[in-house]
Amino acid sequence: MTFNRVPAIFATFLLLFLLQESLLNKIDFFIGGFSLYLAFFMAWIMQDERNSAVATGFIAGFIADLSPTLEAPFGLWTFILTAMSYVMATNVRAALDAELSPVVMSAVTVIGSSIALFSFVICGAILGQEVGSTSYVIQEIFGNALWTLLLSPLYVPIAIGVYRATLTARNR
Amino acid sequence: MANRGANRTRLLWVSLLVTSLFLITLDLRGINLINSIRTGSQSFLAPIQRVGSNVLSPFSNLFTDLSNFGRTNSKIDSLKTENEELRSQLIFNKNVLGELEQLKGVLDLAGQARFKVVAARVISKGGTGTFSETLVLDAGSDAGIKRDMTVIASAGLVGVVKSTTKSSAVVLLMSDPSFRIGVRIAGTQDMGILSGEGEGKFSLRMLSATGQLKPGDVLLSRGSSGDKPFVPGVPVGKVITIDNSTGQLTKQGRVMGFVDLNALGVVSVVVDSMGRNPGDALVPKAPAPAPTVTVFVTPKPSPTE
Repeated sequence: MTFNRVPAIFATFLLLFLLQESLLNKIDFFIGGFSLYLAFFMAWIMQDERNSAVATGFIAGFIADLSPTLEAPFGLWTFILTAMSYVMATNVRAALDAELSPVVMSAVTVIGSSIALFSFVICGAILGQEVGSTSYVIQEIFGNALWTLLLSPLYVPIAIGVYRATLTARNR
Repeated sequence: MANRGANRTRLLWVSLLVTSLFLITLDLRGINLINSIRTGSQSFLAPIQRVGSNVLSPFSNLFTDLSNFGRTNSKIDSLKTENEELRSQLIFNKNVLGELEQLKGVLDLAGQARFKVVAARVISKGGTGTFSETLVLDAGSDAGIKRDMTVIASAGLVGVVKSTTKSSAVVLLMSDPSFRIGVRIAGTQDMGILSGEGEGKFSLRMLSATGQLKPGDVLLSRGSSGDKPFVPGVPVGKVITIDNSTGQLTKQGRVMGFVDLNALGVVSVVVDSMGRNPGDALVPKAPAPAPTVTVFVTPKPSPTE
């Protein structure tokens, strides 16, 4: 991890956050919704080395916490994504081949997003946030997983491309 | 060497986790800095959301429209005959017309109750990652909107203002799991508590053991002290089923809201109820039955006969 990558990571996730908040949240996705932000984050983390992944998790989580419509305490997404990034970059990444195929990438993205949302609900509930009925939570997580899977051919190549563009010569 | 690298990662990870827990603690303790960070981000996002809303408004219901594709085949066939320019014009007009109809409806409702309202457009919604049912409006404290004001649409209650900036406001929808409102049944005046359950579902629990409840009962807001957060008399929903399970002290039921919370374009915020209670005056009128058409056919002899 080189510190001069931090502005690029911050700018990328801030742009994604704006896209999510101003456009994607407005679309009625029929079943649940779609978090491009989470999906992109998972696809990004899978390519990153450990130190960089943990820092990216913290930055992405902090930006996600800025959402004005969020009911949960500030810092909860930072906590979840920082924790997830370490697990993904060490345990999950170590169990997979060095070269990630698009299918594996999509599957990990779907599972990772769903686990992140589920952890958010559980931690939110522990901190006193009301999250609704079980069926509502399942529908939201299932809907997000479905759209994350269906739209993976669109965002996974973009995530790979943007990630490579942010690498410094030393990282490459 | 590799072990040292792993230790460094673990140290960074633990430090960042502790930092995030520190942020959570600050927020739970109500530190102003954290609140102002979110208010600041809302001020920053509002103009972008407004642009996004304008760009996306013809496509926001794309998936719902696609799901109804089979049912609207005949309509699509007839539209195919029109040229591209007319079609895009039609989409734009339909969008504007829909918003105008919603605005007219909500102003009618507010006018009937003589509430002073501020109309606002919906520019964004709460996303999947938030697990909260919220809307963002394009009007804020500059238009007189404050926290804990009632938000209504043409058919009734939408929610309550949760926070404001100068040019935007976040509304907690009545379907949010944390939403509670005191209601009374139009006519009998029996009181109950309505709770949101997410995705447009609501449950009702009567306050009194003797409170009567039947399907079709219309629920109106009971009103709060100083009319904040709820003004009285606003239509909330209709009872659809009663839960008759034994062992309950008071009656419970399922409720259907009057407002379709997924199709809101324009809403109104009640900035002043003028101290009035409209009573049961805002109860939606039942649709008039369609007149039966009787056709008499007199057989005529054919020319060959």
